[in-house]
Amino acid sequence: MKMHTFFFILLSLCLVEANAHNVLGGVYAIGEDVEGEIGFSNGDMAAAGNVVFVRDASGAQITVVETDDEGFFAFTATQRIDHYIFSDLGSGHVFNYVLPADELPDSLGSIVTVKAVEAVLSDSDLDPHSAQLKVMIEKAVAKQIRPLRKELNEYKEKVSLQDMLGGIGYIFGLCGVGIWLAQRNQKNNGAG
Amino acid sequence: MHIVDGALSAPVLATGAVLSIAGVAIGLRKLDYNQLPQVGVLSAAFFVASYIHLPLGFSSVHLILNGLIGLTLGWVAFPALLVALLLQAVFFGFGGFLVLGVNAFNIAMPAVLVFYLCRKGLQSTNQRTVAIWGVVGGAGATCATTLFVALSLALSGDAFLLAAKVTFIAHIPIMIIEGFVTGAAVVLISKVKPELLGITD
Repeated sequence: MKMHTFFFILLSLCLVEANAHNVLGGVYAIGEDVEGEIGFSNGDMAAAGNVVFVRDASGAQITVVETDDEGFFAFTATQRIDHYIFSDLGSGHVFNYVLPADELPDSLGSIVTVKAVEAVLSDSDLDPHSAQLKVMIEKAVAKQIRPLRKELNEYKEKVSLQDMLGGIGYIFGLCGVGIWLAQRNQKNNGAG
Repeated sequence: MHIVDGALSAPVLATGAVLSIAGVAIGLRKLDYNQLPQVGVLSAAFFVASYIHLPLGFSSVHLILNGLIGLTLGWVAFPALLVALLLQAVFFGFGGFLVLGVNAFNIAMPAVLVFYLCRKGLQSTNQRTVAIWGVVGGAGATCATTLFVALSLALSGDAFLLAAKVTFIAHIPIMIIEGFVTGAAVVLISKVKPELLGITD
């Protein structure tokens, strides 16, 4: 009885975060603004102050940001290139993500900058060929589909019952093959 | 417990792969074919256990079961766990293919160690002794695995003490639960089917 109490106390003292889980996350571009989040498959988010490196294809550093207490990070893209996002969460957990260039607006690298977009609308902005209008539409659409993409990401990470049953099936199947081979050997030995 | 691809350096990955291949070879040589169904069931149990997260406080934990697998299978734990780890990587995305060797070694070697450590104790006729050695085996295997994981990370550049501390502290609840589950399982097995523990050898 004493032993049980001891273990119970020890157990209640040990309510620490056990990160024995997969690292999940998503990075979404809303216009030039890139937002991302990092967390674990059990629902915990990355700790605040986790360093997130943003690099280009050659490995040169573009920027370094930190996660906030909800695992979020954000930066503004200045070039329309592939962004390689990496973060080491410790204990063998790393987050790797590539934000492809085509998710960033065409306007990047051209004359239109963030400030230009934020400028007050004038008549010329309503021209459908206006670069500013294009940027605004891109931004608005990206914002709208963000929750959908997030949901899709979560869905992709979800393991279905089929996967589990499939895995168990494979294991038993392998055993079956082993048993079959063993039995065949026995038979051959018996015959020979 | 599963280290993901990209966290370890190439020499560590290669060493892990070589050690695992050696372990699997020894395991396959020691495998008695009558044991196969038991190997399959335990391998499947490990495969599923990592997916079933039990809520604990603000977080959740999952069983590893490498202690129980080690106590009942010995060296055969290597092939049993390798198959399960491979399928976990395929189906759940746990770990990865490059780190498979390191993960298999980190989880299976402690299983083999507790097999030798607790073997004598499990042969006792005293239920209490059997239970204690079961607890030691379950908790000990998890404990050794956290140290192996920390060592793998340390050899790849992380500071060992820090990595060891973080993984060790994070896994204390799992060690306790694992100890209880393995202890209970071993007592049950010793009552209903003692030959599974190699007691009748």
